[in-house]
Amino acid sequence: MKYQLYMALLGLVLTGCGVQAPTKSDTEPMELAAAMGGDTLGYARATGPQLFNMPSDLGAHPDFKTEWWYFTGNLFSDEGRRFGYELTLFRSALAPPDVDDESAGAPPDSAWDTRQLYMGHFSLADPETGEFYAFERFSRGSMGLAGAQSPPFRIWLDDWNMESESIEDLFPLRLMAEEDGIGIDLHLGRAKPMVLQGNDGWDPKGEGEGNASYYYSYTRIETEGTVSLRGDRIEVSGQSWKDHEWSTSALGPKESGWDWFALQLSDGREIMVYQLRRKDGSVSPFTSGTLVLEDGSKRALEADQFEITVRDTWLSPVSGAEYPSGWRLEIPSEDISLSVTPVQPNQELNVSVRYWEGAVDIGGSASGEAITGVGYVELTGYDTPPTDAQ
Amino acid sequence: MTNLSQQPSPSFPGRLLRRSSRRYLRQHPLLILLSILGVAVGVSVVVGIDLANSSARTAFQLSTETVAGRATHALVAGDGPIDDDIYQEVRVGLGVRQAAPILEGYARVSDPTGPVVQLLGIDPLADGDFRSFAGGPGGGLDLGGFMGGSSSVLMAPATASRFGLEIGSSFFLWVDGRAKEVTLLDMLDPSDDLEATGLDNLIVMDISVAQAVMDAPGQLSRIDLRLPLPIDVENMTALVEDRLPENVELRRAEARSSTLDQMTEAFSLNLTAMSLLALVVGMFLIYNTMTFSVVQRRSLMGRLRALGVTRREIFWLVLSEALLIGGIGAIIGVLGGVALGRVLVGLVTQTINDLYFVVRIRDLDLSYWALAKGLLLGIGSTLLSTIPPAREATRAAVSTVLRRSENESRISAMLPRLNWSGLGLAVLGGLLLWGSGTNIAVSYVGILAIILAGACWTPALVLLGSRLLRPVLGGVFGIIGRMAASGIGQSLSRSAVAVAALTIAVSATTGVGVMVESFRTTVDTWLTYSLEADVYISPPGTVFRRNDSTITPEAEAVIRSADGVISSFSVRTANVVVDNEPTDLIVTEPRPSALEPGRYKAIADYDHREAMRSRDVVMVSEPYSYRHGTRVGDELLIVTANGPIRFEVGAIYHDYASDLGAVQMTRSRYDIHFNDPFVSGLAVYVAPSDSVETVVEQLREATTSVQGLNIRSNRDLRQASLEVFDRTFTVTTVLRLLAILVAFVGVLTALMSLQLERRRELAVLRANGMTPVQVRRTVTLQTVSMGLIAGILSIPMGLVLSWLLIFVINQRSFGWTLQFIIDPMILGQAVLLALLAALLASVYPTWSMSRANAADALRAE
Repeated sequence: MKYQLYMALLGLVLTGCGVQAPTKSDTEPMELAAAMGGDTLGYARATGPQLFNMPSDLGAHPDFKTEWWYFTGNLFSDEGRRFGYELTLFRSALAPPDVDDESAGAPPDSAWDTRQLYMGHFSLADPETGEFYAFERFSRGSMGLAGAQSPPFRIWLDDWNMESESIEDLFPLRLMAEEDGIGIDLHLGRAKPMVLQGNDGWDPKGEGEGNASYYYSYTRIETEGTVSLRGDRIEVSGQSWKDHEWSTSALGPKESGWDWFALQLSDGREIMVYQLRRKDGSVSPFTSGTLVLEDGSKRALEADQFEITVRDTWLSPVSGAEYPSGWRLEIPSEDISLSVTPVQPNQELNVSVRYWEGAVDIGGSASGEAITGVGYVELTGYDTPPTDAQ
Repeated sequence: MTNLSQQPSPSFPGRLLRRSSRRYLRQHPLLILLSILGVAVGVSVVVGIDLANSSARTAFQLSTETVAGRATHALVAGDGPIDDDIYQEVRVGLGVRQAAPILEGYARVSDPTGPVVQLLGIDPLADGDFRSFAGGPGGGLDLGGFMGGSSSVLMAPATASRFGLEIGSSFFLWVDGRAKEVTLLDMLDPSDDLEATGLDNLIVMDISVAQAVMDAPGQLSRIDLRLPLPIDVENMTALVEDRLPENVELRRAEARSSTLDQMTEAFSLNLTAMSLLALVVGMFLIYNTMTFSVVQRRSLMGRLRALGVTRREIFWLVLSEALLIGGIGAIIGVLGGVALGRVLVGLVTQTINDLYFVVRIRDLDLSYWALAKGLLLGIGSTLLSTIPPAREATRAAVSTVLRRSENESRISAMLPRLNWSGLGLAVLGGLLLWGSGTNIAVSYVGILAIILAGACWTPALVLLGSRLLRPVLGGVFGIIGRMAASGIGQSLSRSAVAVAALTIAVSATTGVGVMVESFRTTVDTWLTYSLEADVYISPPGTVFRRNDSTITPEAEAVIRSADGVISSFSVRTANVVVDNEPTDLIVTEPRPSALEPGRYKAIADYDHREAMRSRDVVMVSEPYSYRHGTRVGDELLIVTANGPIRFEVGAIYHDYASDLGAVQMTRSRYDIHFNDPFVSGLAVYVAPSDSVETVVEQLREATTSVQGLNIRSNRDLRQASLEVFDRTFTVTTVLRLLAILVAFVGVLTALMSLQLERRRELAVLRANGMTPVQVRRTVTLQTVSMGLIAGILSIPMGLVLSWLLIFVINQRSFGWTLQFIIDPMILGQAVLLALLAALLASVYPTWSMSRANAADALRAE
């Protein structure tokens, strides 16, 4: 459910606020609705389900305005140390395809010429110390500086790299990112089958034709490798989650943010649920989710099938935003009752648009049995004060 | 109340002193005004040049700094532009984050001869750490518009309004005679005045647009890096060595601006020295005025001393009077200097743009330091030149009766000492010039010593001149003539200073005149033998003497195969790194001519022309060899596409195109070592049966649709070159004229004070029956004689100066060997100038004296 967040981020980038050193946190956050504007005319739209063509659909869909490749995971060392990581690369088209009339025609004689912009986010949570590291990068999608291809699968931005080690298949896959001495070098091996989100991978996001995305996930991928921590190299293993989503349309003006959960349960099932929050405090009807069974088959979860209750909050000392920090997730139809707790409170990314994206621990019961798990939660829109005062 | 009344009142002599001072100043308004004018002009020339120089430097530095941004280092290629694949390797392969690609260049706006602007191609996504063009917080650059496929550019609002552009306006950028249409997407937003100056002439665009506009696919000027810590530099140095091609090197960001600063160093220094000359002449003027005022009041001072005024008080009185004159003069001078600076800065910029690089000066950089310096120089030089007369005043004997003759007898007694001092100064000057090596500033001090030596010798020479003139004038004008001539000798303390001031001023103009003329003749001769082809073709560049634009291969093919062209050769000017320094490399194809005599300053004992084709042999220009101490047989390390390679120097050739120096290589060797198929210029020979003008026309027609090129006949190119030459000496000429102006004011005051002082003497003559006409004639004859003596003295002095300027200053500044050409016209002009100044100077005293009532003048003051 990265969709709205990335539309917002890319909207910001397109209006220029994103082009600065990520360390600068003095920028006033933009209001989401303003950031998510942008002309969608001339781009391809996600108008209905269509067959994915693998492996080429693993790569880029440049005719759509927005696209991202998202990896998160919970990693553990033999000594019991644990980390949470996020590595996401986004693509955004700066101009719609085929507008090559005479006046808008780009000078064709430069290899730098491009309509594709890439953005990368990399974060690492270290609950042992409570440190949270977050980095952001931008690049143009030309000159080999950043790009997306398949087959063989490779998405990269500078030396941040998601690269398949096989010609035809996505896995095994290597993730590499490093900045300021903080890095990951992970091998993603055996994975549960791909899950097509929404309606066979077509996931409506709002009213109106084409306001939807193509969206698939790998909800559980065995992962091992190393985490670099300012000179220390720590061997780790664990589980990752991959999303790949592309679309053109934008989020509606009523939404203020969202809470998104990607949970990997100890019984071999995964849950993906999200709720869109509106400015008036209500929950959008486009709130939904998926329960992935052990064999990889899925069950859709409608908005009325689950309930999310906030148990605790955390006040960011950097942004002053107050985030939920601990939830209770009830899915009565599946007899699932979970408590979701961040592995550490501070997992706020102070990048172009501030958001919280963090590793969580899960406890609770399913069908009366005790259950545990790990996962990732994403919280957006808590940075901006409520604007319902008209 | 009581306290106030109890304050000690000024002493009686003190009041007297001040009153005498006021009275004196009131009585000689014209003289004082002229002195003030003299100081003012001297100071304004110094301030004007200083401001012009520093403004050019500041403008250049600011634009360099603005463009360099926060970069600490840059990756450059030693053999020309850097391959843009290197950037990918640096960022993706080596994972270096703080790296930004830059493609820089120049273009003309709107039409092929429009104003020159600097182009800066950036990657907005990589540039944030370096420059704030691409939008700081809330900067709001429309990235989609900037790099999303349309040819968009940014510029500062001031730049846009200068070109009459608004957001959304489309206009053409001309590079190498080719035009690309671009659109003004948005304005750059300078955060302060300094940045506004830095951005003033800059057009910023995405790197893809820059490559298209400059027709430079695959090229970058450099890759900016931020390596804040020594360890970063160390790591990067290792990466460059191990992982990047051999022609890539890491350079510090400052190196760039300092290299370009050094380019103009000699030029600026010479201008400063010339401006100081005007001040030196101004100093003579002050000296003269103050001496005159002291001499005039000798008897008064004697009486004051008798009344108990101390020597010290007299000394300070004279000094404070001088301070008043110098202070007012300096203030006016500083104000005038600002005005003059505005004129000069245009001329200085023009020269820099013709010779070195493109710089645009938005406004005069009014640094307080430059203004304070002018003020201090004006007042300081006034005080310095007042010390001798002030000391003389303190020597006034305690007496009620005093005559100047005592002074005159003293100067006669001083003559031997003056002559010896002159000799001493001359020897000192000679030693300074000989021992100063390449130091131009010290060389100028040496020249100053020699000028002062000339001034010391002037009294003796004036005496000699007046004795020689006496029989001549006596023969022609009778008693009046003899009186006029001996009068000069009798009032030696006055006349010698006047003559010295005039001599120095006139000889300075002669010296500079002869130097410029010699230079021009040398360049003309050089052009004659180096421009051997019939027609020259080059793309319009932005710097006349350093054109590294390229002719498109299509245009080249059209020209080479055109009707009427029987043969042709190409020239390529590239900037490469030679012995760790960016250097102009001139690449030539073999030309049909035979060995040109006089073309070389030194050659190897083998056939260097053959060697340059068959092995790694190059030749260097005379300025290059001078700047780097390069001799035939030395080796140069030139960075080529294949890495650094040693080349042997086979010859040193005369070249007046650039004082920066150049290295020349044959095309065949260049093609082996460099990946650059382009040419910067073509020279073609026309069949004897065809008219050159017709072929020029045909070539213009044939290429017009391919590329806008400058196609000039041999004669036109030579003409254009000389025009640029003359233009570069405009500043010099202006300075020369200003020095003449100061000299003229000096002579005017010197001669006027001299004649005014002789009022009583002339009144006696009148009383003894001399008619006003006869008095007038005596005075005129005397001043004109002095002018003549000064004019004649200025000839040897001027020749010495020009010799020093040509063989010492020019050699040491630029490394050029010039022919020493003495144009009798210039020498004649000098004498005429001196005579004219003298004649004009005699007008007022003559008029006032012949009108004066003899009885009034005779009355004691």
